[in-house]
Amino acid sequence: MIKAQNVTKSYGKTQALKDVSIEIADGEFAVILGASGSGKSTLLNVLSGLERADGGVVTADGENLSEKNEAERTDFRRRTVGFIFQQYYLLPHLNVQNNVKMGAALADNKDYLEIIASLGLEDKLKAMPNELSGGQQQRVCIARALAKRPKYLFLDEPTGALDEATGREVLDYIMRERAKSGCTMIMVTHNPAIAETAEKVIKMNSGKIVEVSKNAHPKTAYEIGW
Amino acid sequence: MIALKDGLKFSGVTVVCFCAVFVCTFFMNFYADVLPLKESVSAEALPLYTAQLATAKMVCGITGGFLSVIAAIMVVFYIRIYVDSHRRALGTFKAMGYSNAKIAASFLVFGASVLTGCALGFGLGWAIMPFIYKELAVEGMAEITPTFHAALPVYLIVAPTAVFTAVGYLYALVTLRKPPLELMRGTKKLKVRARRCRKDRPLLVEMCLSTLSAKKMLAFFVAFSCFCFSAMVQMGASMQSLAEGTMGAMILAIGLVLAAVSMIMAMTSLVRSNAANIAVMRAMGFSAKERFAAVFLCYIPVAVIGFALGTVYQYILLKIMINLVFSDVAEIPEYSFDVPAFFITLAAFAICYAAMFAFFLYKADKATIKETFTE
Repeated sequence: MIKAQNVTKSYGKTQALKDVSIEIADGEFAVILGASGSGKSTLLNVLSGLERADGGVVTADGENLSEKNEAERTDFRRRTVGFIFQQYYLLPHLNVQNNVKMGAALADNKDYLEIIASLGLEDKLKAMPNELSGGQQQRVCIARALAKRPKYLFLDEPTGALDEATGREVLDYIMRERAKSGCTMIMVTHNPAIAETAEKVIKMNSGKIVEVSKNAHPKTAYEIGW
Repeated sequence: MIALKDGLKFSGVTVVCFCAVFVCTFFMNFYADVLPLKESVSAEALPLYTAQLATAKMVCGITGGFLSVIAAIMVVFYIRIYVDSHRRALGTFKAMGYSNAKIAASFLVFGASVLTGCALGFGLGWAIMPFIYKELAVEGMAEITPTFHAALPVYLIVAPTAVFTAVGYLYALVTLRKPPLELMRGTKKLKVRARRCRKDRPLLVEMCLSTLSAKKMLAFFVAFSCFCFSAMVQMGASMQSLAEGTMGAMILAIGLVLAAVSMIMAMTSLVRSNAANIAVMRAMGFSAKERFAAVFLCYIPVAVIGFALGTVYQYILLKIMINLVFSDVAEIPEYSFDVPAFFITLAAFAICYAAMFAFFLYKADKATIKETFTE
């Protein structure tokens, strides 16, 4: 379980998170929904241990992230966290196989080629990131994150840079792979339609959580509007 | 396109130009003032005069020649790496419809940095010239007062400013000849590396080698900065015995400043060019040691090669210079390889290199992944 209690975070004079409290159960798929500047990405960064909260307590898998220093949080991310970013952030000088291998190496995962194949990238193993389309790059990013066998998968606007068809396709890949692995998934988006695919929706505005709701029947990537 | 924050990054260029021009100014002026006085020197003072002139010629050759050439290469490297690291911004401006000439014009700022360094170096060189002349005075020869030689500011201020302004502008223009999308996405050279990837290499080794291969120019810059560090510090130490007193100390100080600045320029470029990779690895959970190994380990042999070449180069250069310059002087100064200077330089090099890596990695670790990618 990931739990945030009275979390605050500021960047200079700007308060990005104001007294935020939230719980996400193991295996749950939660979406953090909000407009640009609402604090959703900051909350994701704090929950994943990328950044430390200024105040309050963040616990994940029984570990208090608020008390950990940078090296300890790095170790936490190594053991338990996978990231999928809007801008992919693939290493430009590594080919597809080695980019995915980066994630696999951290979990000693020898079967990472199967993940690449399941994402339809088996013929792109030797391709460099700048030779791939946006959708293909995002699939490599998904494979890299899943190759770590993460307990928690954090996604920051994973379809934000993609067109509708590719976005749906990528979202479908993510949901299918997540169903296979059973990991806890926390996704940030500004698109309310995407939130319909989640089990829990956390709405944010101006650094605060304004609403938490549950979807009894989450939709698939192809059932939602865009 | 280039903000004030970027302007501060050019301070290295300014310092390098300042050092080279500062030393050149008074030695070139001294040489120009002393050369026509041979007739007025008494017979007893003639050997000393010839030796002093030879020393000035040698120092001029080393400072004016070696330091200036090194400074010039450093600046050209820096311009190239700086322009390359702004390819995405260049592509964005080009895609927006700005003309190539207008975008490249923002790189004229290199000329301003060079001009500032050269002008300050020339000004300070002139300010301390009476003191230098007193140090270099020869007994039995009439007292020399510094004379202004109009050609010097042309050689030492106008020419380097014009050359480096043109280099910065033209290199940006050449880079801008590529289509905007290619500029924004990255280089095609990476494909070559992809074909050569070996399956059986451990991941960190593969990452390290591919980083090095993808940034060959940067590797050369690092090697060159270590070459400079090695050559300048050892040469400065040797010059202390060849050009005694304040002169020797001054040359050593200039050598140290140039060595430090060249290394800082190379290290900042190295870390800045790899900041995105470091940020991604940090987010994924790679430890500091692994991040260092994957990104920087390959640069250590590169640095050692640069250092070794610098040692050999400075020894051969000094040997040749001494034999050449003092050929018409009765007593050729004794010069042999300076072993203590070598070990002191090696120790200083290892400490500086490690400290800079630690500092810049610490700085890189402070930035979030988003900050790193949007910088």
